[in-house]
Amino acid sequence: MAITVDNLTNNTFEDPSRRAPLITGGLDNEGVTEVVADLAEAPSPPRIWWVLLAVSAALTTMLGGLILLLIFKGVGVWGNNNPVYWGWPIVNFVFWVGIGHAGTLISAILFLFRQHWRTSINRAAEAMTIFAVVCAGMFPGIHIGRVWVFYWLFPIPSEHLAMWPNFRSPLLWDVFAVSTYFTVSLLFWYMGMVPDLATFRDRSTSKIKKFMYGLFSLGWSGSARHWHRYEVAYTILAALATPLVLSVHTIVSFDFAVSIIPGWHTTIFPPYFVAGAIFSGFAMVVTLLVPMRALFNLKHVITVRHIENMNKIIMVTGMMVGLAYTIEFFIAWYSSNPFELFAFQNRAFGPFWWAYLAMFTCNVFVPQLFWFKKIRTSMIMSVIVGIGVNIGMWFERFVIVMTLNRGFLPSSWSYFRPTWVDIGMFVGSFGLFMFLFLLFCRFLPVIAISEVKGTLAFQKHMALAGGYSEDGDH
Amino acid sequence: MNNEVDNREQKKLVGVLGQFDDAHTLVHACEALRDSGVKKMDAYTPYPVHGIEKAIGIPRTILPWIVLSIAAGGLCIGLGMQWYTNATTQLLPFWSGYEFRISGKPMFSLPANIPVTFEVIVLSSAFASFFGMLVLNGLPKLANPLHRIPRFKRVTNDKFFLMVDVGDDKFDASQLRNNFSDWGATDVEEVFQDQTDWKLPAFLKTFAVLALVLMLVPPALIFRARGMTYTGTRLHVVPDMDWQVKFKTQTEGPLANNNTTTEFFFQDIRAQFDDLPGTVSRSDQSGDSEFFKGIRTGSDLHSSHTTPAVLASNQEETAQEETTATTEATAADEPDWVTTIPSQVKVDRDTVLRGQRQYNIYCAVCHGYSGEGNGLANNRAVALSTSGESAWTEAKSLYDPTVIDQPVGRIYDTITNGRSTMGPYATRIKPEDRWAIVLYVKALQKTRKTAVSKTTEDNSAGDKKDSGK
Amino acid sequence: MAHIRKAEITSPITTLGGESTSRVVPALLVVAAACIGGAFAWQGLSNRALFLHSYLVSYMFFLTITLGCIFFVMIQHLTKAGWSVTVRRVAEVFGCGIFPMALLFLPILVLVLTGDSSLYPWVNTTPAASGAPEWAVGDERIFDIKATFLTPFWFGIRSVIYFTVWTFIAFRLYSWSVKQDETGDKNISLKSQSFCAPLMLAFVLCLAFAAFDMEMSLAPMWFSTMFPVYIFAGCVLSSLATILLTCLLLQKTGRITDEITIEHYHDLAKLCFAFIFFWGYIAFSQFMLIWYANIPEETFWYRFRFEGGWVVFSLVLLFGHLFIPFLGMMARTVRRNKTYLLFATIFLLAMHWVDHFWIVMPQWKASVYEGYFSHGEPITSSQYVVWPGFVDLLLFVGMGAVFLASFCVVSGNRSLVPLKDPRLHEALNYDNP
Repeated sequence: MAITVDNLTNNTFEDPSRRAPLITGGLDNEGVTEVVADLAEAPSPPRIWWVLLAVSAALTTMLGGLILLLIFKGVGVWGNNNPVYWGWPIVNFVFWVGIGHAGTLISAILFLFRQHWRTSINRAAEAMTIFAVVCAGMFPGIHIGRVWVFYWLFPIPSEHLAMWPNFRSPLLWDVFAVSTYFTVSLLFWYMGMVPDLATFRDRSTSKIKKFMYGLFSLGWSGSARHWHRYEVAYTILAALATPLVLSVHTIVSFDFAVSIIPGWHTTIFPPYFVAGAIFSGFAMVVTLLVPMRALFNLKHVITVRHIENMNKIIMVTGMMVGLAYTIEFFIAWYSSNPFELFAFQNRAFGPFWWAYLAMFTCNVFVPQLFWFKKIRTSMIMSVIVGIGVNIGMWFERFVIVMTLNRGFLPSSWSYFRPTWVDIGMFVGSFGLFMFLFLLFCRFLPVIAISEVKGTLAFQKHMALAGGYSEDGDH
Repeated sequence: MNNEVDNREQKKLVGVLGQFDDAHTLVHACEALRDSGVKKMDAYTPYPVHGIEKAIGIPRTILPWIVLSIAAGGLCIGLGMQWYTNATTQLLPFWSGYEFRISGKPMFSLPANIPVTFEVIVLSSAFASFFGMLVLNGLPKLANPLHRIPRFKRVTNDKFFLMVDVGDDKFDASQLRNNFSDWGATDVEEVFQDQTDWKLPAFLKTFAVLALVLMLVPPALIFRARGMTYTGTRLHVVPDMDWQVKFKTQTEGPLANNNTTTEFFFQDIRAQFDDLPGTVSRSDQSGDSEFFKGIRTGSDLHSSHTTPAVLASNQEETAQEETTATTEATAADEPDWVTTIPSQVKVDRDTVLRGQRQYNIYCAVCHGYSGEGNGLANNRAVALSTSGESAWTEAKSLYDPTVIDQPVGRIYDTITNGRSTMGPYATRIKPEDRWAIVLYVKALQKTRKTAVSKTTEDNSAGDKKDSGK
Repeated sequence: MAHIRKAEITSPITTLGGESTSRVVPALLVVAAACIGGAFAWQGLSNRALFLHSYLVSYMFFLTITLGCIFFVMIQHLTKAGWSVTVRRVAEVFGCGIFPMALLFLPILVLVLTGDSSLYPWVNTTPAASGAPEWAVGDERIFDIKATFLTPFWFGIRSVIYFTVWTFIAFRLYSWSVKQDETGDKNISLKSQSFCAPLMLAFVLCLAFAAFDMEMSLAPMWFSTMFPVYIFAGCVLSSLATILLTCLLLQKTGRITDEITIEHYHDLAKLCFAFIFFWGYIAFSQFMLIWYANIPEETFWYRFRFEGGWVVFSLVLLFGHLFIPFLGMMARTVRRNKTYLLFATIFLLAMHWVDHFWIVMPQWKASVYEGYFSHGEPITSSQYVVWPGFVDLLLFVGMGAVFLASFCVVSGNRSLVPLKDPRLHEALNYDNP
C-alpha cells in the first residue's frame, strides 16, 4: 500500500491522496523514546556542545558584567540620547519578544488547527520562547534606571511609595503582557513536559536524575483519567495562549502606536507586529533546529518536511509583513499629512536608509526564495534565510525606533550611534539565549515524546483509511 | 518479579494489572471489561489514546467550568484593581487609591484598561487550568504502588496497561488473569501496596524538624529587633541617588573621565556654560527698582519682602484670590508702585507697537486680542471649569475698573510675577518688553470711552498713547 | 479504534436538484428585481443619497460574504486541508457569486463615473470658496494628493481589476473542483494549491484596496491602516456563518446527508468563535489606538458613531458582534448542537449586517455633523440617526435573492460535495477529541 519513501530524508513529496509520514526511518514508539532519550542519557554530549557552551557561557558572563556596569554607572553607558531616547534596549526587547512568539504559536495555534507536524518541534520551540522572553524581559528591566526597585512596576501596595502604577500607560501593559506571557509559556512548556519527564524518570539509572526527574514529573503514571483531564487542560491552555500570543505583541506595538509620533501612530501596528513576530520566531526555530537535528541525530523525528512547513510559514508571514509596509506607505501618502509622509520618506531615504534597505531586503525579498521547493527543502538555505530574516526583523525594529531621530524639532535632529556597551549587551543576550538552550538540549526532553507517539498512532489510523503512506519497513 | 517479595505480609493487594502491546487491543480489552460489569478500572498509556474515555466510561471533566469561573473572577479583579488604584481616593482606610489625571484621559479609562484586564484573565485562567488539572488528577502523587513494578516503567515508553481496582464489586483476581490473557494481554500480575511506602524516611523527619526550627529564627530576630534603636552606621544596600556626581554652578567642573586630565565638560573647566545670547538675566536686576520691579526706589526696602508674600498667598489660595483681589489694591502694605513709565523706556509709537506684538504673543491667548479677557485658552478653560472638569480663575478684562485703576508699576509686577492662575513671565519677556506691554495695555484701556473718566492719575502714560497711535 | 468510512459519497441526493432550480431561479430573480426596483421607486428618486447608502450596506454585506467564501476555499487549498473537503463545495459555489456581485456594483460605478457625488463625496471636485472642494476641508494640498487616488476614472479601473481577479479565482477553482468530480484527477488538487499561492497575494491586495475604495473613502478625509483587516475579519466570520448555515439547511432538507458530520459543524463553529474574537481584537485595536492618540483628523469618524442615536449601533456591535456570540459560542456542547448553531449563525449574519450599516450609514449627511462639531456643539438630537427601515429590508431581500439565485445557477445539477477529492477520506474520518 505504501509508496516507497526514502527512509532517511525525503518525505517532502506532494501527493494529495496521501499524507507524507511525519516520522520517518521506521521509528515506532520505543524508537522515538530511544532517539530522544539518547541525548540526555549519553555519558558525554558531543564535543561541539562543550565548545558552544563555553562560548555562550563566556558571552553570558560578559552580559552580566555589562549589566553591573550599567547599574553602577547609569544608563548613560548606552547610546540613548536626545532625540532617540529609546535606542537599542527597546530594539532588542521587541526583537527578542518577537522571537518568543513562534513557540507558543507552534504549541497553541497549530495545536488548535490539528497540525500534527507541530509535535516534533513544539518542545524545542517552546523552550526557545521562554529563553527569548527571558532575554527580552531583561532589556526593559535594566532600562528602568534604579533596577533595585523594579517591583514598583507591579501594583504592590506600598506604604513607602503611597501610589500605584498608571494603568493607562502602554508601558505598564507591557509589564503585564510580558510577565503573563512568560508565566503561561512556562506553564504550557512544563505541562507538556510532565509525561516526558516521567519517561526520563523511568529510564534513568542514577539516583540524582531519578530524584530530579521523579520530582518534576509529579508522579505521572499515564492513567487514562489523568490523560483525559490533561488533554482538556492542554486544549484550554492552547485556547488561552492563542489570544495571549496575539495580545503580547499587540501590546508591544501599542507602546509605539498609541503615541502621536508620525510613523508610529498607525492602526495596522498590532496585526503587523504579530505577523512580524511569528515571522522572526519561525526563522529562529529553523535556525536552531536544523543544526540540532543534525547534531543530535533527530533527522527521523524532525524531518525535512517539518523544516519545509516552517519555511512556508516564514514565506507567508514575510509577505504579510511586506503587505503591511506597503499599506503603511500608501496610507502615509493617502492621509496627506505632511508629517506622516515625511516620517516615511525619512525612513526610506533619510540617514538610516541603509537600515531600511536591509530590513526590506531581508524581510520581503529574501523569503521569496522559498517559492522554490529546492530551496525550502535545502537545510543550508533554510538556515541562511532564517538568519537573514532575523537580521531583517532586528532592523525593522531599529528602523521604527530610529523614526525618532528626526522629530518635530529639526534643531534636535541627530544621528544615533550605539556605544560598545549596546553592542556588547546585544551579543551577550545571544550568549544567554544559547547558554540556556544548550542546557535544555542536554537535560530535558527536546522532543515532545508522548505527542509524537500520538502522531504515530494517528498516522497509523489514517493509513488504514488509505491516506497516509507508512514507512516501507514498518 | 517484585524485588521485595520477602515481606509480602506487609503488603496489601491493590489490583490486577495487565500489559498490552498496542493501543488497539487495550481499547478492546477496556470495552470487554466494561461489558463484564467492572467499573473501577483504569488504563495506563504512553500517550493519550483516543476513544479510550468512552471505552472505560470516563465522564467529561468539569475543568472547563472551573476555568471559566476563575476567568470571570480574573475579569472582576483586573478591572477592579485598575478602577480602585487609578480612579478612586481614600475609599478604604488602608492602601488608598491614587487618583491622577494623565494625558487628558478619564480617571477610569475603559479602553486603556482592557489590555491589563485581558492579561489578568488569561493569567488566572491559565493557572486555573494547570493547577485545576493537577488537583483533579490528584497530582503530584509521588508514592504509587505501580511505580514499584519494574514492568510498569515501560508505560512511559511503549507498553499499555490496564488495571482493575481491588475495590470493584466484580473483582476476582484469577478470573481477571484469565480474561486479560484472552483479550490479548502479554502479561498479567497482581499489584501490591507496600505498607512501608507510607513511612517517612528517618532523615526526612530530622530534616523537617530542623527546617522548622530554622524557619523560626528570622521572625524571632525581627521580633527581638522591634522597638530597638540601632546605633551603628546605617546600611546602604543600594546606592540609589544618594551619592550621585553633580556639578554645582559657578564652580570648577569635574573631570568627565577620572583617568585623564584633559577631558572637561566645558573647555574652560567650568561646570556651567556662559549665558546663551538672548537669555533674560534675572540675577542683576537689583539696581534699578523702578525699572526692574515697578516699585519706587525709596520704598524698595519696604516692599521687597511683601512681594514674595503676595506671591506665596497667590499660589496657595487661588480660590480666595478672586475675592481678595479687589481689597488687595487698597491694602496697607501695598508697595509704592511707580505711576509713570521709567525713563529707560522710550514712550513712542515703536514701543507701543512692540508692546502690541509681545502682547499678542504672550497675553492674548488668555486676555484676548482686544483685552476683554476672552482669549482662546481662557474660553476653553472656563468651559471646562463650568462643567466641573478643572478649576480656573477667569482672565481679567483689562477694562475692569480694578485694572484700569492700577498704577503702571502694578501691571508691570503682574506680568513679572504673575497673579492668581496667571504665571510669571519674568523668564520669558525682557524688562523693556514688559514695559512695552504695559504701555500697550494702557493704550488699549484709553480706547474705551467709558473707561476714560476713571483714569485720572496716570495721565502721562495715557497722553503718550495718543501720540503713539 | 473508530470505525473507518470509505472515501465514497453514498447518499442518494447530493445536488440541489435540477428541476426545482429551473423554477426557483426565475422566481428569485423576479423577487430581486421587484425588491430593488421597489426600493428605488420608493426612495431612490426622492432621496438618492440615502438610497445609495442603504444600497451599499446590503451590497457590502453580500460582497464580504462572497469574498470570505473565496478566501475560505483558497486557504483550504493552501493548507492542504482534509477535514473541510465536504463543506468546501458550498463555499466554492458562493464564491462564484462574485460575478452577480460585480453586476450589482455597476449602478454604483456608473453613478461615480457620471460624476454623481451623492454616495462618494470625493466625486465632487467643484472647488469651494477656499479653493479645494469642501470634503478636502478646502485645503488644496490635501486635495492634490487625494485627487490623484480618488478619481472616478481610477476608481473604475481599480474596480474592474478587483472584480476580474476575484472572478477569475472563484471560477477557476470551482471549475477545477467540478472537473475533479468527474475525473478524480488528484493533480487538480496540486494545481489548485499552486494556483492559490500567488493569487492569494493578489486577492488580499484587491481586498485591502477595495476596502479603502468602497467603504473607507465614504469619509475621504479619514484613514486607518487597520481598516482592510477589519473588513477582512468581517468577511471571514460572515462567510463561515453562511457556510455553516447553508450546510445546516441543505442537510435538513436532505440534499446533503452524512457527508457532513457533526465534526464539521463543530470545526466551523470553532472557527467562527476564533473569528468573533479576531474581529473584536481588530475592532478594539483600531478604536483604541485612535481613541488614545486623540487626533481630531482621526477621531471624527468614531465621534459620528458615538454621538446622537448612532451610539446605539456601536453598543449593539460591541455586545452583539463580540460579547454575546463570544460567550455563546464558547462551550463545546453548544458548538455541537445544530439547533443552536442555526440560531447562532443567523444572529451572527444579522450582526454582520449591522456592522456594515454602522460603517456606511453615518456617512450620509456627514457634512451636517462636521458642521456641528466644528462649532463645538455635541449632537444630542436623534434626528441625524438613520434607523434601518423598509427600504433596507427591500434591498436586503432583493440582493439576497440574487445571492441565492446565483447559488442555484452555479450549483445547477452538480454535486454539493466534492465527489472524488483525494482527501475526501479525511473529511469523512475524523473527530474532534
